[in-house]
Amino acid sequence: MRRIGFSTGALARGDFRSALQTLRSHGVKLVELSALRFDELEPLVKAVPSLDLEGFEFVSIHAPSRFAPEFELEIVDLLSPLAERGFPVIVHPDVIFDPSHWRVLGERLFIENMDKRKPIGRTVGELRAFFFDLPAARFCFDIGHARQVDPSMTEAALLLKAFRERLAEVHMSEVNTASRHDPISFNAISAFSSVLASIPEHIPIILEPLIDQGQSDVLTEIQRAMDVFAAVAA
Amino acid sequence: MEPQSPDRSKLEELEQSIGCDWRGIRAARAATVLRRSQLDACFTRRGPSDTSLVVFGSVARAEVTSGSDLDWILLIDGQSFPEHKEQEREIKRKLLANEFIEPGASGVFGKMVGSHDLVHNIGGEDDLNSNSTRRVLLLLESYPIGTREAYDRVRRQVIRRYVEDDRGLTHASGDLRVPRFLLNDLTRYWRTVTVDFVYKQVADDDKKWALRNAKLRMSRKLIFAAGLARVFLCHLDPAANEARQALVERKEVSLLTEYLEQQLALTPLELLAKLCVDLAVSQQTSRKIFDSYDAFLSILDDPSKRAELAHARSHDDLRSSKAWGEVRAVSGPFHDGLVSLFLQEETALKDLTMRYGLF
Repeated sequence: MRRIGFSTGALARGDFRSALQTLRSHGVKLVELSALRFDELEPLVKAVPSLDLEGFEFVSIHAPSRFAPEFELEIVDLLSPLAERGFPVIVHPDVIFDPSHWRVLGERLFIENMDKRKPIGRTVGELRAFFFDLPAARFCFDIGHARQVDPSMTEAALLLKAFRERLAEVHMSEVNTASRHDPISFNAISAFSSVLASIPEHIPIILEPLIDQGQSDVLTEIQRAMDVFAAVAA
Repeated sequence: MEPQSPDRSKLEELEQSIGCDWRGIRAARAATVLRRSQLDACFTRRGPSDTSLVVFGSVARAEVTSGSDLDWILLIDGQSFPEHKEQEREIKRKLLANEFIEPGASGVFGKMVGSHDLVHNIGGEDDLNSNSTRRVLLLLESYPIGTREAYDRVRRQVIRRYVEDDRGLTHASGDLRVPRFLLNDLTRYWRTVTVDFVYKQVADDDKKWALRNAKLRMSRKLIFAAGLARVFLCHLDPAANEARQALVERKEVSLLTEYLEQQLALTPLELLAKLCVDLAVSQQTSRKIFDSYDAFLSILDDPSKRAELAHARSHDDLRSSKAWGEVRAVSGPFHDGLVSLFLQEETALKDLTMRYGLF
């Protein structure tokens, strides 16, 4: 049985409380608390101790995806207490300006492969340098990003092979030409199928399709993801 | 395609080991580095990641000589934007302003090209001569200038199609793993080039006959031979062991796709040198190939000889042309060297060529 959950940012941008409530009402047990924008992080960090996370088997935090280098230490300082409490922290490699700052997060630091807009962190070669500098860090595999960078899915397979031992979380959604995260289409399912068998069953799968405007709903998307994995297993 | 740095170059290793001095090849490589830096300087602004300027021919093969022209396309892999037309015009303007010699009038190059036909139309009636030429040259002799993401994506998708759609690779019961779909398309391309040579001879009233014939005998034949070698290396190269294992055990094609991509990143001369070194091919065969090619590049790099070849079209022209005589004197041994490499030297390559080369 695959472990599949949702990102709060996909459900309600910036409103993690309402997103958590929605997920709980649907019995979802895995969640990623999203603070993709810089100004969302501090309120989230302050709120976490008082959030009712009872019933969630897996909770990760997505760090801001864009900020200036002078804020790097401040961001790490905000995230460190959460990592110490056991929360994995997902970070985009293009905001790791000085890797030494991030070492304090140890194995709670999950580095994610990037989409094609980013000039770094997209391929095995580009990610190796980050893991060299941060040897304890784990790998968050974004399958939609990997497909956008290389639609043949060769890079996706190579990423999973190269960082198999580090793999700790998967992001799943369809990343369209404008780099927006959409619900998974038939074509994406077909592409994803070629590598899903390489993802161990215990790895948490976090769905990221934007459904905040009613594009789809939580249960439909989770069922769709379940079906994809079931088809591959069969 | 990257000219290899000295510490990695099999070509230089071969040159040293058999005590040769391939000045023509070295000069062409040095001229390539300069030409590429001139091109980089023309296109310093970052282009969108959905497009790549791709150049072909001598710049890609690292064989630039004084009269080399520049074949190029603006490769588009993504949504269609009105700005692409202006991007195409700007490339033309910049190349002209910097005195790059324009591509020929065939219509294959010098324009924007979408990725879909390249990736999806391999074979079938929509795989026009222009499409198959661009696709095969994208594999065998291409080089991106500036933003390269679209180039890398499309090239890998094309390679993947040749590997993934080749059921013999994943489902064959024996041990042989030679990508025949790719082999057959490379062979088709080479035969098409030879047939089109005669077509152009008639259609263009023998214009540039000798120069075109010289290129056919040497550089066109070289890229086909290097393509053939890459296909056979999938079975022969110890570096492809893991990729072959993945095909046999898991029907997994990603590693072979990556392996082929790495081999295609080598220039044709570098690739053949690797073959000669790794298979311990005789000095005699290696010298026939590389001495001849070295002399050929020196002929092309001599402006008066090149001009003579460009103008020679009648039998009388050819009889009186010293440059044409020199081309004939090197193209024969070059051909013999390739025949020897693929069919006469007692290596595993001979068995594969006998098995797959013709039928």
